[in-house]
Amino acid sequence: MEQIRPRSPEELAARLGEASAAGQRIRLEGNGSKARAGGAISEADVRISTACLDQVLIFEPKDLTMSVGAGLPFARFTELLDQHGMMVPLDPPFAAQATVGGVVAANTSGPRRRLYGTARDLVIGMKFATLEGKIVQSGGMVVKNVAGLDMAKLLIGSLGTLAAIATVNFKLIPKPQGSRTFVFEYNTASEAVAMRDRILQSALQPSAVDLCNPAAATVLGLAKWTLAIGVSGNAAVLDRYQRELGGEAIEGGFWRAVEEFGPGFLNANPEGCIVRCAVTLDQVGAAMEKLPGAVVARSANGVCYSHCQSTDQAAAAMTMGRPVMEYGPSSRTAALKMWPNKDSGFPIMQKVKRMFDPKHLLNRGRLYGDI
Amino acid sequence: MIAPEAKRRLTEVVGARGYLDRPEDLKLYEYDGSVDKAKPELVLFPRSTEDVVAIVKITHEFRIPIVGRGAGTGLSGGAIPRSGGVTIGFARMNRILEIDLKNERAVLQPGVVNLDITLAVQAQKYFYAPDPSSQRACTIGGNVAENAGGPHTLAYGVTTNHVLGLEVVLPDGTVFETGGKETDVPGYDLTGLLVGSEGTMGLVTKVIVRLMRAPELVKTALAIYDTVDDCADTVALITARGITPVAVEMLDGVMLRMVEEATHAGYPMDASAVLLIELEGLKEGVDEQLELIRQACMDCRCREFRVARSAEERDLLWKGRKNAFGAVGRVSPFYYVQDGVVPRTQIAPTLRRIQQVSEKYGLIISNIFHAGDGNMHPIILFDARKENELQRAQLAGEEILQFCVDSGGSITGEHGVGMEKMELMGHQFPEDTLNAIKAFKNLFDPDCRLNPGKVLPTGKGCLEVRQLPLTAATAI
Ligand SMILES: Cc1cc2nc3c(=O)[nH]c(=O)nc-3n(C[C@H](O)[C@H](O)[C@H](O)COP(=O)(O)OP(=O)(O)OC[C@H]3O[C@@H](n4cnc5c(N)ncnc54)[C@H](O)[C@@H]3O)c2cc1C
Repeated sequence: MEQIRPRSPEELAARLGEASAAGQRIRLEGNGSKARAGGAISEADVRISTACLDQVLIFEPKDLTMSVGAGLPFARFTELLDQHGMMVPLDPPFAAQATVGGVVAANTSGPRRRLYGTARDLVIGMKFATLEGKIVQSGGMVVKNVAGLDMAKLLIGSLGTLAAIATVNFKLIPKPQGSRTFVFEYNTASEAVAMRDRILQSALQPSAVDLCNPAAATVLGLAKWTLAIGVSGNAAVLDRYQRELGGEAIEGGFWRAVEEFGPGFLNANPEGCIVRCAVTLDQVGAAMEKLPGAVVARSANGVCYSHCQSTDQAAAAMTMGRPVMEYGPSSRTAALKMWPNKDSGFPIMQKVKRMFDPKHLLNRGRLYGDI
Repeated sequence: MIAPEAKRRLTEVVGARGYLDRPEDLKLYEYDGSVDKAKPELVLFPRSTEDVVAIVKITHEFRIPIVGRGAGTGLSGGAIPRSGGVTIGFARMNRILEIDLKNERAVLQPGVVNLDITLAVQAQKYFYAPDPSSQRACTIGGNVAENAGGPHTLAYGVTTNHVLGLEVVLPDGTVFETGGKETDVPGYDLTGLLVGSEGTMGLVTKVIVRLMRAPELVKTALAIYDTVDDCADTVALITARGITPVAVEMLDGVMLRMVEEATHAGYPMDASAVLLIELEGLKEGVDEQLELIRQACMDCRCREFRVARSAEERDLLWKGRKNAFGAVGRVSPFYYVQDGVVPRTQIAPTLRRIQQVSEKYGLIISNIFHAGDGNMHPIILFDARKENELQRAQLAGEEILQFCVDSGGSITGEHGVGMEKMELMGHQFPEDTLNAIKAFKNLFDPDCRLNPGKVLPTGKGCLEVRQLPLTAATAI
């Protein structure tokens, strides 16, 4: 298959425009790390990758803003920020392989979203290239901006089904002075949830509140229902957390293992899948008791990831909350149902898709094969 | 003109007490907080989503323009019906449908007043974070439309960061829901697209918002300066040092004196500028941050750094800030509020430019703004009864906004483009972006009946306006 790696947003737009005019089906990718995410791309005539749009375009440390090409490796991005005492704490899976554009397009996130939010909260601007061969801008380089439509929100999580993200602008967060991780183990989910509730209802503001079922805890070197709390601040604040939470602090490296839990599972299980269930906070405990396989949850956001060995198991998982099969088996078939229970907004989503991609050329099969 | 048959059916939906059509009543609905005017032909007050759908379907059938209206505090002409037609006022859809603290959510009708959300949950130590200075009056529906911000959005984010779900009525009467109480609902983020769409793509009939746990400690400080530059430089320094206060508001000398005369909040009458800075969080963190802030202020030659010693003192300082426009109103019968954004390193040069513009046009411009975000609010004082003063005020505003864009910023940080800054959109965005915005407008409102003549520059929008707007300068 023909592979194209444009070197500028303009070239990206031009190539998309040409492919579209020729009626070619397009596979759009960054570094291809999330091949199993959101429904595998069925067939394509041309592959267009943003990998060569890998530059830091604007870095204003004093304004706490940065604009980067979509192809910038996420790892290089975080490293650069780290050197300047800053961060964009998305904590996505596949962090070592992913590009910034891919992280944003897939809307992947991680433990610290409790405090810092997700891409929709940290992205302040974006340029994307459309199948008409145009470059469209949303937002800009300032942290507050309501000029024009917030089209970036649509592109975030669109999994490359609407347009190609060319550049992304972020607001940067100053790195806290220190951080600590506390882990608590319980015999039952409800005890763990009770502890979560005590924390959330107090004045404490943890950055991460993850809950693992025993199957997931085992993979992480623990055993029982495990509540992992990440906190940050100055020394006095950290001591306060230590006093109020009790328990011993463990190594922060724990979070890398949590973030890469999904990728590790997918690697080891070519036929496995990961179901993401969105639930309300009060449903987290019950959902986690019922969800199959190893389950890791952002328990203070209500997002549970159920790591299923088979599509049958996944079907059982997809009865909980508002689910979707975020990652599918390697040998995905077209018949696989990945996105049950669509809400009344779905017809509008289809209209949006048709507006951007009337010939249905872009990443066919993505967005769970349904759009 | 609304056909008699359409009018009969529309008024039937809301009942005898649910509409206004007498000229003297309609006059109250011809303006918002901006300087433009245009009269609706009929104002309807639905009580439910069903009412809204019924109204919208009739207007669809008869091709009548419609405009949603919350409290009418908007500052860009968003709620002004520049093509006439029906104004749908959400004042009676003002119920808090559900407070769900264990899930950190509230479900609201669009007419709920912003502050009422926090008032409903503060006894339980929760709050709704976006706090526009107009929060005693403005509605959540208007906040969603404009993606409203406020002093505390510096730390907590603007409306879009706190809205998780919407119920929307499209101009053809289709109702749909997007998002929900949950986060990460599968599919495109239509909620994110619609927040900030300025009431031009759908009418919002229900809003699901996030509630946050109140911090244990709040400290408010007032830093007083002899020069505007030093004050502005402090904001840049706070940002550059990575200190994270929850609010950094700036008032210049002109503003200070107006505010102090009106509210006696204890602001110094002789200063050139002040910063109102707030810190929140765990006690151990706030104390240290306060020291870092004090240091940054001192490093920028702050004359005096006061910390409010009690809740009363703090409230007084904020009262001065939040009642600022009232204070301006005492001094000048007319004023024009602008809403540009610049990178935080550019605040000092932007204020200098504003001063030059003030001198060039011979108009007093005072500044009171969300400095921590770089969100400037120059307030241009003018007298509409004097020849050409409104036009001069508008030209002055435009020049300031152009400067903001040229400094890498934006023509609006929270008030929206509306009908006021439409023509500047071409300065901010390239043609292809304007076309993309237009394509979305067409997708949601193919007949261009919902809030027509807003956001996109004349000629670039989906329809040319039928009727030129009146302005504050035209006979009252
Ligand atoms: C003194 C003062 C201080 C202010 N301070 C701030 C501030 O700090 N931050 C800030 O962001 N803004 C501020 N504003 C501006 C204004 O209050 C906000 O824009 C607010 O969000 C408008 O709300 P509203 O209910 O008054 O809306 P309106 O003015 O009635 O309408 C605004 C827009 O919303 C649309 N709309 C209203 N309801 C709906 C609905 N249900 N569905 C769809 N569209 C709808 C209207 O069509 C219109 O386009 C201030 C205004 C004043 C007068």
